[in-house]
Amino acid sequence: MLNLFIFELGICLAILIIFFLDIFLPTTKKSILGILSILLLITLLFLSNRFVITGTFFSQSFVSDQFAITLKQIFVISTIIVMLGSIAHAEDKLRGRDGEYYLLLLFSLLGMMIVVSSRELLLLFVGFELMSIPLYVLSAFSKDNQRSAEGAMKIFLFGTVSSALLLLGIGIFFAINGTTSWSPHFHFKGLNDPLGTLALIVLLSGFGFKIAAFPFQFWVPDTYEGAPTPFVAFLSVAPKIAGFGIIYRFLFEALDPLILKWTVYAFVIAAVTMVIGNLLALPQRNVKRILAYSGIAHIGYILLGLASGTKFGVEMSIFYFVAYLFSNMGAFLVAEAVNRSTGNDDLDAYKNLSQRSPFLSLSMLLFLLSLGGIPFVIGFWAKLYIFLAAARSGHFTLVIIGSILTVVALFYYLNIARRMYIDKGNDEIKPIHLPFSLKLSIGICAVLVVFLGFYPKIIVSVSERAISSFKMPL
Amino acid sequence: MTEPIPVLSIIVLSPLVGALALLFQPERWRLSIRLTTLIFCLISLIGSLFIFVCYDQNVGGLQFVEKYPFVPNIGISYYVAADGISLALVLLTAIILISGFMASWGIATRSKEFYILLLLLVTGVFGVFVSFDLFLFFLFYELAVLPMYLLIGVWGTSTMVEPKGIFANAIRMTGLGSKEYGAMKLTLYLLLGSALILIGFLALYSFSGLHTFDYTSLATISLNKSTQNWLFLLFYIGFGTLAGIWPIHTWSPDGHAAAPTAVSMMHAGVLMKLGAYGIMRMGMGLLPDAALAFAPLMGTIAVINIVYGAFGAMWQNDLKYVVAYSSVSHMGIVMLGVATTNEMGLSGSVFQMFSHGIMTGLLFALVGLIYEKSHSREIPSMGGFANKMPGIATFFLIGALTSLGLPGLSGFVAEFLVFLGAWKSPMSWWLIPSVIGAFITAIYILRASKRIFFGAYKNRNHQSLIDATGYEWIAPIILSGTLIAFGIYPKLLLDPINVGIIEFLKILSK
Repeated sequence: MLNLFIFELGICLAILIIFFLDIFLPTTKKSILGILSILLLITLLFLSNRFVITGTFFSQSFVSDQFAITLKQIFVISTIIVMLGSIAHAEDKLRGRDGEYYLLLLFSLLGMMIVVSSRELLLLFVGFELMSIPLYVLSAFSKDNQRSAEGAMKIFLFGTVSSALLLLGIGIFFAINGTTSWSPHFHFKGLNDPLGTLALIVLLSGFGFKIAAFPFQFWVPDTYEGAPTPFVAFLSVAPKIAGFGIIYRFLFEALDPLILKWTVYAFVIAAVTMVIGNLLALPQRNVKRILAYSGIAHIGYILLGLASGTKFGVEMSIFYFVAYLFSNMGAFLVAEAVNRSTGNDDLDAYKNLSQRSPFLSLSMLLFLLSLGGIPFVIGFWAKLYIFLAAARSGHFTLVIIGSILTVVALFYYLNIARRMYIDKGNDEIKPIHLPFSLKLSIGICAVLVVFLGFYPKIIVSVSERAISSFKMPL
Repeated sequence: MTEPIPVLSIIVLSPLVGALALLFQPERWRLSIRLTTLIFCLISLIGSLFIFVCYDQNVGGLQFVEKYPFVPNIGISYYVAADGISLALVLLTAIILISGFMASWGIATRSKEFYILLLLLVTGVFGVFVSFDLFLFFLFYELAVLPMYLLIGVWGTSTMVEPKGIFANAIRMTGLGSKEYGAMKLTLYLLLGSALILIGFLALYSFSGLHTFDYTSLATISLNKSTQNWLFLLFYIGFGTLAGIWPIHTWSPDGHAAAPTAVSMMHAGVLMKLGAYGIMRMGMGLLPDAALAFAPLMGTIAVINIVYGAFGAMWQNDLKYVVAYSSVSHMGIVMLGVATTNEMGLSGSVFQMFSHGIMTGLLFALVGLIYEKSHSREIPSMGGFANKMPGIATFFLIGALTSLGLPGLSGFVAEFLVFLGAWKSPMSWWLIPSVIGAFITAIYILRASKRIFFGAYKNRNHQSLIDATGYEWIAPIILSGTLIAFGIYPKLLLDPINVGIIEFLKILSK
């Protein structure tokens, strides 16, 4: 029975270990905590692969199915990469607060695990808060930076409002159905009832904040710009996947009969999110802000898969998660590396990067190509599959919008590439020295982006397995 | 049927292997880097000659087939084959590749990266010409388009045209004439085109109901008229961007003028043919009804291309822009041949792809040489060059005469066939503006040759110019040799092309 909770238990254990070690370790040796958390998470990943089982618990409000397990593994992997990328940052900038940093990441991770496993709205709410509150704290982690404070304020205010919305939605849901939990064979009452519609809208708005879909994307650029960059790599990926996870579970399990009704809304939101994200990225001069807006656009593409309302579409949006995870994290980690040497994130800081550090510029190029959806890197397959799914369900308008926006996106991605490879900087060329941990994390992302680009089949089968527990049209 | 020697895979993948081999050599091994590149280019060339000779014309159809499942769950396979049209274009690519490489032998800065990108690009080009899986086709297509951005952006040349008039400020902001501007414009135009193509492929995939990207099985089904029409429109605009059809040709002069020599040769010589080939192979082969319906439109636009490109070339003072605009004009002849939808026109169209590819490669190579020697591309500032560089002048005139369609050179055969096809097509008035276009071509190309090579020196420094030396001769010799050979004995190339065209005619007349 405990095998059901292996992820949660493992992380709780890791949290306890890190917590007590943090108290007793001297300030100078705290970087051990990062390495230790990574080792613990890797162990957990291997153990879970071997021992985890599927089933439900707590009168079916906690479920461990293939979907939850896959997403949890994705979360753990992303946390490992982020922690690896954070070690150098934590050592230099946080001055003894390393322990808190890793603890908060782990807490947030625990929250995500609960979120994707819950079939009960109150449990879900607890998970959401557990996931979000550490994110607010981490956003404000560079205390002295005014922008960090502003960004943290934004994410906090938006976050609390969305929590309030979520609670309101839960209340209405309970009022209609007399329960806050659902099972795969659940029938949502009040389909043709204004109150039922209200409940859905309010709940989905609450979720929509987490994935930063239109119109809840306003906090994204400011928060990303101010927060510590390795953490942004985490923030831009993992919580969004968690948000999508619960949207999928809720839509495909609790709202089964409504399936055709919500796809229309999902389409509109997907289209608007894609357009907004891509167009607003164009005038930006700060790489973190460009990546923030492009991240919003990618959420739109993932929503496109969801909106196709078919099994294939949802599978392919899981594929997209993985592609987005490695490319986006990699890009943010490169931004961190550049920031370490130049002290800012402006586009001009990337001038001559190809001569200062061929490794960084080549990896960045790969990540950008992957985000832009160019063949031979994983991002291409992600976009292709998503478009294929939309085309199969006959929504060519969105395919056309999406593909044209891909070209718009390539304009700003290539702008970064141009700074790295073509433009001549005025300064002399100083080679960039990278700490090993950061180099390793960027290297892992780059290798995976290329390897999976040539061999996407692994991820396809992973996403097929993940969706196998949902019932929906092919 | 799978061949004992995977010759097409060898042709396609040898540049890729070459690029990988270069990756492991440090920049300072100058000679070794060049020899590696040369060896892998030669492998492709030998392979292309091999298939050209060994293709059995009596059997026809697709030969040298290789087919393996690639991503079976969505119906993608690695399916390469060659028919008569592919043969000609693969040979063209190999010739341009080897001479483009020889023309860029002396490249000084970051030469290793340059060769890697060039080899990647050429992998894509070879791949497109032999892919018979739509998806594979698209992969190679993207691979052929993308390295261009860096190739032009890093190694290109900026010609700062001083903008004049009321919009001068706005134009200055775009960076008109700079290599960054040319590179970005070219890349975005072509990627927009490829986005449309991808939509078209996905639509074919889902409308056919077969859930496969296999060309031969998609060619067997017939879609209804309206679907065919809008799919064809997607392909026409998508591939047409690369083929340089009016009015979306504007990336071509800017991009070609900014590009380094080898890239201009590759791009104007081969890549623009990818577009025309795509319209033929995908548009006509898969959507025959729509192709017939759109033929009048295609032909009319092609005629505009011919005349507009010729006038454009006439107004230019920058030698590279002259050649670039002449490409736009000559691609019009290719597209006109496609639009005639009869045997002569189509054969002429493919022959023109080949002949124009070689010719424009020759001209760009020579422009590169002239620029290297005189550090100028401004025609008004040149004069009397023939005294100091008689060799370059001779080769340039061979290129110029091919361009205006002198009998005995391959350009004549191509243009003659296309014009004959146009005359026999339902819209025979096409012939009149096309011939006028050919006439204007004669004016601008001869005038440019006269101003550059003959007359008095305009600049004292030009008296110390020298002719091409050593390896610089290789590219012009290969290219002009090809022009003359196929001009005197066109049958060598026309026969395989005809075998391929007959297949198309069968589809069209169904």
